Amino acid sequence: MLNTVTMLLAAGVLGLLAVVVACVLGWANRTFHVKVDPKVLAILEALPGANCGGCGFVGCGEYAEAVAAGGTDVTLCAPGGQSCAGQLAEIMGVAVEQTFPYRAVVHCAARTDQRLGRTDYLGEPTCVAANLVAGVQGCTYGCLGLGDCVAACPYDAIHIVDGLATVDYDKCVGCKACARACPRNIITMVPFKAERMLVVACSNKDFGPQVKAVCEVGCIGCKACSKHAEAMKMEGHLSVIDYDAYESEDQFAKALEKCPRESMIFVGKPRPEHLAAVAAEELPERIEADFKTTVDDTEWRG
Amino acid sequence: METLITLVQIGIGAALINNFVLYYFVGICPFLGVSRRIDMAFGMGCAVTFVISIAAALSWTFTYFILRPGAPLPAWVWETVGGTSGNVDLSVLSYIMYIFVIAGSVQFVEMYVRKFFPALYKSFGVFLPLITTNCAILFACLEIMKHLQDPTRLWGLHEALTLAVGGGLGFTLAIVLMAGIREELDMCDVPKPLRGPGIALIVAGIMAMAFMGFAGVDRGIEAALSTLLK
Repeated sequence: MLNTVTMLLAAGVLGLLAVVVACVLGWANRTFHVKVDPKVLAILEALPGANCGGCGFVGCGEYAEAVAAGGTDVTLCAPGGQSCAGQLAEIMGVAVEQTFPYRAVVHCAARTDQRLGRTDYLGEPTCVAANLVAGVQGCTYGCLGLGDCVAACPYDAIHIVDGLATVDYDKCVGCKACARACPRNIITMVPFKAERMLVVACSNKDFGPQVKAVCEVGCIGCKACSKHAEAMKMEGHLSVIDYDAYESEDQFAKALEKCPRESMIFVGKPRPEHLAAVAAEELPERIEADFKTTVDDTEWRG
Repeated sequence: METLITLVQIGIGAALINNFVLYYFVGICPFLGVSRRIDMAFGMGCAVTFVISIAAALSWTFTYFILRPGAPLPAWVWETVGGTSGNVDLSVLSYIMYIFVIAGSVQFVEMYVRKFFPALYKSFGVFLPLITTNCAILFACLEIMKHLQDPTRLWGLHEALTLAVGGGLGFTLAIVLMAGIREELDMCDVPKPLRGPGIALIVAGIMAMAFMGFAGVDRGIEAALSTLLK
């Protein structure tokens, strides 16, 4: 008798509870329903969902809401590129102008042995830490080569080669993560109007003798290039390229010829004729990672 | 006065001496998962405190009136059907009941907050589903149930709520401290094999040892309060 009543009561209590909770939640679901703009959902669908923050919003969700609310440019998503901007424009019913993919450019060209006045640095192996210490290397503008940008890159597109951060343009999607990570602010985003772009790979704003004392390749501010190319101007003692006026690399041919240093370089994909020119030379073989033996060092997330 | 001293003891006990995370090792998943940044950790701590209080209030009510041995509702049913000797004991239902009630109420609260406080929902709404049936919360409910077994010394709702709020605050304290340490750790050169979960668990262990220093504090507080309130 006691057992029967206990069992019946247990079943009854649970059953009643289930019915009550189901009713309350069902009612709440209808009463507290929040209308989500279908545009937001459509935009969210069109975005790559990488949540990289390159657009300046916290994640894809925030950007989608901002676009749907109007007044925000539809072309801000760097990983999505032109096709994503097109889809967003279609959803929002606006016209989209042609956009160029922005890619990271490291404004320093000096390899370790070309940087002068270096001292042994044995502190924390991060650029943020090393940048706080005076006299790590002569040039206070140049790349420190400790790889904060490498750690920040979610696409494995930037690596330290001979002590210099080097972008892999096959992988770079222009999310700005490296530019934000760099404590010396020498990585900027450049609109790639062609497969390869001419950039000034130096950030040193000092004048000639000071630059020569700390670097073998840096820009000395001689103004030779800005005299021969209209799209180049001087910022202090550093020449910079105005990318709004950049049409093709041919307009810089004269300036490039006059440059006494090696601070103007091409980045991006090489042209076929350049590849053919060096085909005969012996190049080091590209080493591919062996995933069978490489330990997965991706960060653990709980 | 007795009541006040008991409440202070329960609260301090749950927050510091028997800290849920660092003494009982419950609620480790959010403790390790959401302790990368201080603001996120604080949000998580607030969400846990909030949910744990709701869960404690509900589970106390259900346990007191339905589940405990000698509860009024089963006794009434038993008498109605004509039983005389023996008691109906429904404490076997406690686990399923707690999970059910907590999950349901958190779901309800989430919908309510989403509708009426969108800003609040944005800042901590994401944590709510994560902790619906978290072990720290279930642990608080079971702790309350433990104190509703002996009919001569039953906990009231105020004692249950003190335990819950104290436990929630203790969790917040532990996770915020942990997040502070881990933020500093990001700047440090941790040996490669220890990076990530390894160093986090070592830090948690050292923190647990540090919290052992609170053992015995409750007796001192009791003595101090009783002389103060005399």
